[in-house]
Amino acid sequence: MAMLEVEDLNVRFYTENGVVKATNDLSYEVEAGERFGVVGESGAGKSVTSLAVMRLIDEPGVIESGEIRFKGRNLLELDDEEMRELRGNEIAMIFQDAETALNPAYTVGEQISEAVRHHLDMDEAAARERAIEMLESVGIPDPGQRYSNYPHEFSGGMQQRAVIAMALSCDPDLIIADEPTTALDVTIEAQILSLLKQIVEEYDTAIQLITHDLGVVAEFCDRVMVMYAGHPVEMAPVEDVYYDPQHPYTVGLMSSIPRIGDDRDRLQTIPGRMPDLIEMPPGCNFHPRCPYAEESCIRREPALVDVVTGEPADVSDHDAQTAACLEHTGGLSEPLDYEVWVQDGSRAGPDPVESIDGGTVDE
Amino acid sequence: MRRIYESDALDRDDEDPFRPGASDREKPRAARTLPVGTLSETLFPRRLRHRSISVDVSTPRDVYEAGETVPFVVTMKNAMPFPVSVPTVSPVLWTWAVDGHREASHVPEIPTQEPSALEFGRGEWKEFRRNWNGMFQVSESEWTRAGPGEYTIHAGVNVESASAKGVRDETTIEIR
Repeated sequence: MAMLEVEDLNVRFYTENGVVKATNDLSYEVEAGERFGVVGESGAGKSVTSLAVMRLIDEPGVIESGEIRFKGRNLLELDDEEMRELRGNEIAMIFQDAETALNPAYTVGEQISEAVRHHLDMDEAAARERAIEMLESVGIPDPGQRYSNYPHEFSGGMQQRAVIAMALSCDPDLIIADEPTTALDVTIEAQILSLLKQIVEEYDTAIQLITHDLGVVAEFCDRVMVMYAGHPVEMAPVEDVYYDPQHPYTVGLMSSIPRIGDDRDRLQTIPGRMPDLIEMPPGCNFHPRCPYAEESCIRREPALVDVVTGEPADVSDHDAQTAACLEHTGGLSEPLDYEVWVQDGSRAGPDPVESIDGGTVDE
Repeated sequence: MRRIYESDALDRDDEDPFRPGASDREKPRAARTLPVGTLSETLFPRRLRHRSISVDVSTPRDVYEAGETVPFVVTMKNAMPFPVSVPTVSPVLWTWAVDGHREASHVPEIPTQEPSALEFGRGEWKEFRRNWNGMFQVSESEWTRAGPGEYTIHAGVNVESASAKGVRDETTIEIR
C-alpha cells in the first residue's frame, strides 16, 4: 500500500458559464520517501489536484467522485476536525504565492510556532526555538531577530522560505510543494531543493512537487506525471520520461526547454493552447495541437496504458512507463516519428532524427 | 459623483478575454450588496420568476458543411427591473443539447442532486458562447460524426419542464 493513493479523482467547478472539468479520472500513487513530480502547462489541473489532496477545494469547486487515501484512510470521509489535525502535521503544503499564504497581521515566527504548538504539543519557548531552527534551516539570516518580523518586512524570496519552514516545521510525512521555488533566484532555489532532498533522505518524507521547471523535475524527482487538460498523459520514472518520452505532449514540453548555446532565433513552442476545460475537444484532448493527430484521435479518447504491453495502466507499478496515446494501443496508422537526442552522452538514446516541431529533444 | 464604471477609463472589448467586456458596464457587481436569492425567494412567486426570464439560441448560419464546428450563442434576459433568482435542479445552471442529447452526448450524465440557482440582476442579460463540434459522444471514450441532415440545438435554464416554463429555446441547423 502506497502512502498516498489517488483513485479516479474528478474535480468539477460549477460556474455560471459551465462546468469546468479540472481533473478527470485521475489516479496516481506516491510512496513514502518518494519524490513525485507533476508537470504541465498552466490550467492542466496540477494545483487543483494538490488542493484536492489537502481537501482545500473551495466553492464552486467540488470533489465529485474518487478516493484519496493517505496511509489507508480515505481523506474524503474525514470530518473537518480530523482533516485539520492532518493538515500541517502529516501532510504539509508549500503554496506558490507566499505573500498570500502568510498572515500579514502576525509575525512570521509566530505563524511557524503556532503550527508547532498546535501539532507537536510544545510549550511556547520550545515552539519558538523550533521555529527559529526552521528559519535557519531554510537560509534566513539572523533567524532569532527575524522571528519577530512581519511578512511585509521579508523580501519575496524570504517569504517563500518562511512558508517552506512552516511546512517543514512539524516533520510531515508528505509535503505537497506547489511551485515552491518559482519566486526564488537560482542559488536559493538550489539551496531549497537540496534542503528538501535532505529532508526526504533523513525522515523518509514524500514530496509531491508541482512545477513548470522541467530542469527541477529532472534534478529532483524519482517519478513524474505529465498532466494535460486535467488528464494524466504520461507517468513514469523520471529518466524514462526524459530520455524516452512516449506522449507527443511530453515531447513538446521537452522540445520547448531553452538550452544554453542554442543558436535558434526563437524558442520552440507547442502550437495552440490548452483547451477550455468547459468545452473539451472530443477524443484525445491534445489532438488539436498534436502534429501526429489522425481521424481516430478525434473519435477515440486514449486510455492511460503501459507503453510496453498496451494494457491499462497499473498505477501501483512504479517502474512502468504509462502514456495516454492511441499509438500504444495500435490506434494510429502512422507511427510517432520523433526521436530523442541525448547530447551529454550519459545514457545512449535512439538515433537522432526530428522531434515534434522539427527540432530535437535533448538533455 | 461619477463612478469608475461610468467613466471611459477602462479599455473594454467583448472579443478580448483579458479585458473587461462592454456588458460589464451595466452591472457593476461590487455595487450589488443585496442577497438576490433570498429576496427573490421571499418576494417573487416562483412561476412568475420563470416568466420574467427569456432564453434565445442562435447560430450565425443555418447551413454547415460536414466536419465544420457550429458556434452558437445562448442569451438569457431578465425583463424585470429587480433581481431574480431561478432555482435549478443541480449546480449545472443551464444546459444545451443537440436533438435531445445533452451536450451532444449519448452517455448518461451522473445526476448531481444538489440544487442551486441562476441569478439575474435587474434587467440583466447573460450571454454564453458554445461550439458544437458536429460530433456525438456515443460511449465514455468514443465519438461519431453527425451525418448530413437537420439538427436542433436546444438550450435552457436547468429546471424541470424548462420548455413548458418558457426558459428554453431551440434553433435548427442543417449539416450538408
